[in-house]
Amino acid sequence: MFFQGGTLVLQHADEIEEVPAPFQFVRSRWRCEAYHYAALLDWMRQQGIRNDIARWRPLKLKLHDSRELHDYQVQALAAWKEAQGRGSIVLPTGAGKTLVATHAIQHVNASTVVLVPTMSLLYQWYVVLTNAFQTEIGVYYSGEKRVQPLTVTTYHSAGDLIAEYGNTFKLFICDEVHHLPAKTWGEAALMSPAPCRLGLTATYPEEYEQTGNRWRLDELIGPIVYKQRLETLVGKQLAEYRTQRLRIDLTAGERAAYDAAYAIYTGFVRERGLRKSHGPGWLRELMRLSSKDIQARRAWLARRQLLNLLESCQGKFTALEALLREHSGERILIFTESNAVAYHIARQHLVPVISHETGVAERKHILDGFQAGSYSVIVTSKVLNEGVDVPEAKVAIVLGGGASKREYLQRLGRILRKKEPLQALLVEVIARNTVEEGKARRRHVPREQS
Amino acid sequence: MLTGDLIKPRLRIQGANLLVEMVNEQNPALQQIARDLIALFRQHKGQTQAAWEEALHAYEGASLDYTLIRGLAKVLADAATFTPIATPLPPAILRERVFAHGPVFDNSDIFHPKTRSEVLQQIADEHGLSPAELEEMLFADRHATYRLTDAGPEWTPGDLLARYNLELARGALYWASHITIEVASNYKDLWKYIKLFKLMFWAEPMPEGGYRIDLDGPISPFVTATLRYGRQLAAFLPALLLCERWQMQAEVFPPQGQGQKLYVLDHTSMLQSHFKNSGLFDSRLEADFAAEFEEKFGGKRGHWRMSRESDVLLLGDTVMVPDFLLVDTQDESRRILIELVGYWHPGYLRRKVEKVRAANCSHLLLLVYDGLKITPEAFEGVSSEVIFFKQKPVLKEVMETVEAMAERLYGPRQKPAPAPKPTEAKEKKPRKRAAIVDITEHLKQQPAQKPGKKLRKVAESPAQYADNGEQGRASE
Repeated sequence: MFFQGGTLVLQHADEIEEVPAPFQFVRSRWRCEAYHYAALLDWMRQQGIRNDIARWRPLKLKLHDSRELHDYQVQALAAWKEAQGRGSIVLPTGAGKTLVATHAIQHVNASTVVLVPTMSLLYQWYVVLTNAFQTEIGVYYSGEKRVQPLTVTTYHSAGDLIAEYGNTFKLFICDEVHHLPAKTWGEAALMSPAPCRLGLTATYPEEYEQTGNRWRLDELIGPIVYKQRLETLVGKQLAEYRTQRLRIDLTAGERAAYDAAYAIYTGFVRERGLRKSHGPGWLRELMRLSSKDIQARRAWLARRQLLNLLESCQGKFTALEALLREHSGERILIFTESNAVAYHIARQHLVPVISHETGVAERKHILDGFQAGSYSVIVTSKVLNEGVDVPEAKVAIVLGGGASKREYLQRLGRILRKKEPLQALLVEVIARNTVEEGKARRRHVPREQS
Repeated sequence: MLTGDLIKPRLRIQGANLLVEMVNEQNPALQQIARDLIALFRQHKGQTQAAWEEALHAYEGASLDYTLIRGLAKVLADAATFTPIATPLPPAILRERVFAHGPVFDNSDIFHPKTRSEVLQQIADEHGLSPAELEEMLFADRHATYRLTDAGPEWTPGDLLARYNLELARGALYWASHITIEVASNYKDLWKYIKLFKLMFWAEPMPEGGYRIDLDGPISPFVTATLRYGRQLAAFLPALLLCERWQMQAEVFPPQGQGQKLYVLDHTSMLQSHFKNSGLFDSRLEADFAAEFEEKFGGKRGHWRMSRESDVLLLGDTVMVPDFLLVDTQDESRRILIELVGYWHPGYLRRKVEKVRAANCSHLLLLVYDGLKITPEAFEGVSSEVIFFKQKPVLKEVMETVEAMAERLYGPRQKPAPAPKPTEAKEKKPRKRAAIVDITEHLKQQPAQKPGKKLRKVAESPAQYADNGEQGRASE
């Protein structure tokens, strides 16, 4: 039996032979999805079938991480081992799921693939694994493709990786495993023969969220083996924080350009009654119209121009400079809406920038430097999202006003995630009398002191 | 290839079908846009990718043709080369040195004794650069700063629009789960590309000639309509256009929803492939052999008609496309395949012998170059005939063997042609020379093959071509 493109294929077997249920006689061969591998092992042994599938390598990994596990992490790990290394661990954001995973890898001590939903998490895992095992870590995504015994990939690229190298990984880890039921993302888990599987998440999908597809999470990864709720951990992990809103004025020229663009944009929306006819979906409708209606196209472009203007208006750069001087020597993260503005700031103030174009090695270098204090400022465009550890940032400055609520809160959470109880500050710079004020007001921000 | 967002606005759903809105390559207005873009692109030779994109953006303005404009621009850029400027050190190292001094400002203060320009000057000096050069090199590894060094082929507006249409058709397949094609020619290239793009196929001969081929990937049978192989199918499409007569049916799940649709294309479409047809002959040896045959046995000089690579042997995991097919002009069921093995790479040879073995084909004649360090033993158990040759195959000897094979397999020649005898009933043929291996004996001696070597029966008897009695096999 051998592995091919995510399937297990029985060689030398006729259609008339009796083979277990998962196999189907497809195109002259008995085949099944590779995830059945573990369940088929006994049968293969009984039948004396040669196993050409497992190509994973035992490793001699040594964990270079002196951090002691919290009790709940120890329990989680024990529960997973108890379940023969199959199943999911549910812990709240910031509770150290990654640390549990590195101990799991150490336990299995064989080649492992880690799946993550975002590029930023890919980078984070790359750093964590590099530090933890002091060995070269592979990455596999649209930008770089280097496969190593320990490899991190995105759900998006995982299918291709698994199709080709699926049988070289014994342990299959899914970070943010609640993403797995998404239509194509689950295929990678289906195509992997890995006998050991670990899912990590803060929000395990409900039963109904799992049934959208042919496969279920429990089936692909195993059941929940450990679950700890948020309340029991709050206070231990999260530090104090406060937020501040800084309002700046547009210059006369900017104001004129803004007002003109705003008039075109809102004029069209009002004239066509889009908000009334399409409710919350009015923006989508505008976008749809803009592909066929020249007025709508102009309105759409005016909106884009307006947002660009808000992001790169003079007052924000002046405010940024003042903030950088004011918080001199403190660790500062700057968040921008666009790449262009992030690179502009990097050039202007000669500070490192992290964007989706930044390779894994340089990103690690920058974040390491930030932690060590050799860099005190990092500017980033929407990259350090979703659960990335940027340790001990004292100040976060948000320049883009267009952030959605979810993104905003994630950014907030980021600088709050610390080892030391240290009061952090989040500053949001917005332009007065513009759409940004409305957006900021709509957000619910805890403990605001503006 | 185009990105999905440049394809989607061009897809139309009409009942159960998906249509791709192609552009009229002769339309003067569109030709003008294409002409403008080609000129604009050429003007940007030596400039950065960011500058080109900005110019494109300006050209686009508020035009509603932006999907077309961006699509044409993508075709231009894909065929061109952008290269980074040379730097004395990797840009990442330059950044490291510069950013070690940040944050800096235009004027100094107590915590920031050096201004921005002082820092740049200092580091530029250390590397023998000017501050302006240093600034330019700082992000020289970003694609946005790459320079357009080669603007690609000399497009005419018509070429560009034609290529754009091809890319649109390819793009529709991004959302395809499976395609079925029917082809009647150019198999060799077709299979070459199927392999190249790692697709899985299932082929069966059609009664009227040619093959019906299903294409998808290994996991396809287990998931409902995976789009995993869409990109590969799209990449493959130009190979299909190389064929003369063909038809394609793709099961597509368009991104705008509404479930599965059919996308149908055939050889009457105006699409042009940019893939190259491989030459008629792979080698001088083949060309000479064909020429000599035509001279001595072609036309009315003999009763065999020779054609190139027109029959396919479907083997378990692959195919074999023998170089020549001889068909008896008086009885088309009398067919002999000829494969010239004149190549000497050991790996190639090993695979070739494996294929011949798997084909288990009694109407196949192998002409093997004697200098190949290959002995008759290598062909033991093979049901095909083998003739070794020194310089080039001796045509007379080859044709004698062909006649003998035909008589053995199909019985004596007569009119009207008798029904071909089954393979098992063939008569033992006296050995003409040692190099010709008679396989019948071997088969009788080893009736039970190893289970794994269960072989295709597809091409065992030529008669099966005529009545389509056999189905093809899956292969990857």
